[in-house]
Amino acid sequence: MRIGRRLSVAAAVMLAAMSSVSAATLKVGMQDDPDALDPALGGTYAGRIVFDALCDKLVDIDANLKIVPQLATEWSWNDDNTELTLKLREGVVFHDGTPFDANAVKANIERMQTLGESKRKSQLSPIKTVEVVDDFTVIFKLDAPFAPLLSVLSDRAGMMVSPDAAKAAGDNFAAAPVCSGPYRFAERKARDLIALDRFADYWNADEIGYDRIEYLILPDSTVRLSRLQAGDLDVAERVAPTDIQAVEDNADLALYSSAGLGVSHLFINQSEEKGEDLAASKELRQALELSLDRTAINQVAFNGAFTADNQMLTPLSSYHSKAYPMPERDVEKAKELIAESGVESPAIEITYENSLTDGRVAQIIQAMAGEAGFKVELLPLETSSAIERYLAGNFQLYIGNWSGRADPDPTLNTFFSTEGSQNLVGYESSELDSVLNEARSEVDETERAALYEKAAGILLEDLPTIPLYHPSWFYGARADVDGISIYPDGILRVTGVMPKN
Amino acid sequence: MSTVAETAQKSPSTRSLAARLIRQRSALIGLVIVLFFVFLALFAPLIAPYDPVASDWLTVRQPPSAAHWMGTDDLGRDVLSRVIYGSQASLLAGTIAVSIAILAGLPLGLIAGYFGGWIDTVISRCTDALLACPFLVLAIALAAFLGASLQNAMIAIGISAMPIFIRLVRGQVLSIKNEDFVTAARGQGMRDGPIIVSHILPNVVTPVVVQATITMAVAILAEASLAFLGLGQKPPAASWGSMLDVARQFMTNAPWMSIWPGLAIVTIVLGFNLLGDGLNDALNEKD
Repeated sequence: MRIGRRLSVAAAVMLAAMSSVSAATLKVGMQDDPDALDPALGGTYAGRIVFDALCDKLVDIDANLKIVPQLATEWSWNDDNTELTLKLREGVVFHDGTPFDANAVKANIERMQTLGESKRKSQLSPIKTVEVVDDFTVIFKLDAPFAPLLSVLSDRAGMMVSPDAAKAAGDNFAAAPVCSGPYRFAERKARDLIALDRFADYWNADEIGYDRIEYLILPDSTVRLSRLQAGDLDVAERVAPTDIQAVEDNADLALYSSAGLGVSHLFINQSEEKGEDLAASKELRQALELSLDRTAINQVAFNGAFTADNQMLTPLSSYHSKAYPMPERDVEKAKELIAESGVESPAIEITYENSLTDGRVAQIIQAMAGEAGFKVELLPLETSSAIERYLAGNFQLYIGNWSGRADPDPTLNTFFSTEGSQNLVGYESSELDSVLNEARSEVDETERAALYEKAAGILLEDLPTIPLYHPSWFYGARADVDGISIYPDGILRVTGVMPKN
Repeated sequence: MSTVAETAQKSPSTRSLAARLIRQRSALIGLVIVLFFVFLALFAPLIAPYDPVASDWLTVRQPPSAAHWMGTDDLGRDVLSRVIYGSQASLLAGTIAVSIAILAGLPLGLIAGYFGGWIDTVISRCTDALLACPFLVLAIALAAFLGASLQNAMIAIGISAMPIFIRLVRGQVLSIKNEDFVTAARGQGMRDGPIIVSHILPNVVTPVVVQATITMAVAILAEASLAFLGLGQKPPAASWGSMLDVARQFMTNAPWMSIWPGLAIVTIVLGFNLLGDGLNDALNEKD
């Protein structure tokens, strides 16, 4: 008896000890494994989630997409909008102990502009020189006004890494990144986990709630949900819209959501060779758009949890154009337009990444467009071959998923300007080019909105793509995790996330 | 021509085979199951209450009801109709894949076994290499290489199943090629080709039939696996594997989407296995 009692006491102590250990680790279930953990090289949404804990940036956005301070505490433009002066936060150190100052900012911007494989080159190209005024003041000098600059600095291009560590590690920096965020890099196992430890010298250390964060890579959303339900995860990223109810009904779980910046769109190849009839005929593209019921797509595929829309920019953005409301489905009109085009039962082929969501959307489009007289073939491909074809522009139609940005410029310019890096369909409109260029350097919000309205009009007339919906972000979390708030960029911000009590 | 008569005696006549098969209760059950699915596949357009690819946006993920006996799927399609049409993909994949495996495997096995020597070494080593790869892994690799479609899945499964037949036939040929009736035929001046066709082949057919029945079960399961991974039947056409792939997202809130295609796969695979085992027993029954 006595031994039995002792054993049970020991077990209770062990349990208590174990639960206090697990309370200090935040386990986050992630859909994808991030690519390189270097803000200059990273190109994935999953990577941006990890970067939030790992690397502070010059500025951040808030829930309303307004720019708020992070490593820069205040900023101002000169009169002709060609110089941005930033005041930097004092008392910040990188994870390796190097102090953060104006020289570090200069080194970082120059590194991102020059590093061979840097993905930030074009975003930062408007910055001609970085001038160090004193230890905590820098000036970014531009040739011409560039309205999206602060927005650019609120993402990876504004993330600061330790210049010493970057120099020492060279090409290997991504293997053990050194930044100044609330958590420091601990270990990474490819396709398995990324672990970060609390950074005790963080400038805002009171807001760090856990000793360790583990990002576990779990591609299947049902697996993430069941592990969250079992208490095996504290937070699950991207809960499927059809599982929202299950999270809401569970008293041990809480749902966090936000409408998103992203867009899912049906990209239409404009070259005669790849795009065929659809490239040649504007009527056919318009017919295709009219044959689709975006509200029904949203309802059937996503339980109505996303936002059906006809524009690339999210309705959350102040630049979303109200002058062009989403058209109602009109099968008769679509049939007329097809008849006008002179093509009999036009054949279209939709290429997409073989995911359950895109697969469902593609099949709905197939059925809807079919009713208007299109002959729709589906070509689901495994992720890497789909992306390879996408980047090579080797498709007639492609279901593109773009994560979106707070500023309209990265979306519209990269996808639709003649030289845009994501303009894979060969769309060319000199009119749109000049409008987008003008909007880029326009700092007045009202003037800028008028330009983007013009751009929306051109795009909806030419239809190089048919935007379908804007996804919303859904995170599930254990009810004993406090302080989570999700913004339109869908990033889990870990500062302020704490165990309850 | 006494040798020919002796050969004929070695393989049981069809009539006695049928009689023996009927005596095997489990084989009979297997046969009934298989025939049931063949019937479904052949008469799918007449039996299915709905068009298997017609979506109804207003009846998405409805539980089983009088209108939809097995409920509806995530795009408002009738699950019963899709399960019925899915039997076409499964049986077609099974039949074609096994045919490919036999058409390629049987001649190679005959050649390797009968002629021996370097040609046997080449064929046998290649067979060993293929058999070293797990069946499904090989099929997945081939299907991914060929591209996603039902035809390519059939080819991939057929190629993956081929080495079993080569080895089986080769072993069978080795055991009979030195039998008296073969030696006698050779002594009478018969050439190799006719000997293989009229004396060797009839003796390897029965084990090949048994193996084919069992391989059908494996091939159907493989087709479902490939479709589950998105390497089979193209959407929106129905296949049990791809139905399961979609349904796994709705395991908790729409279980009927996964239960029926899952049950169909289990049943048809069980049917072919029972039939194969029964055939095997019936053919090896001693007189």
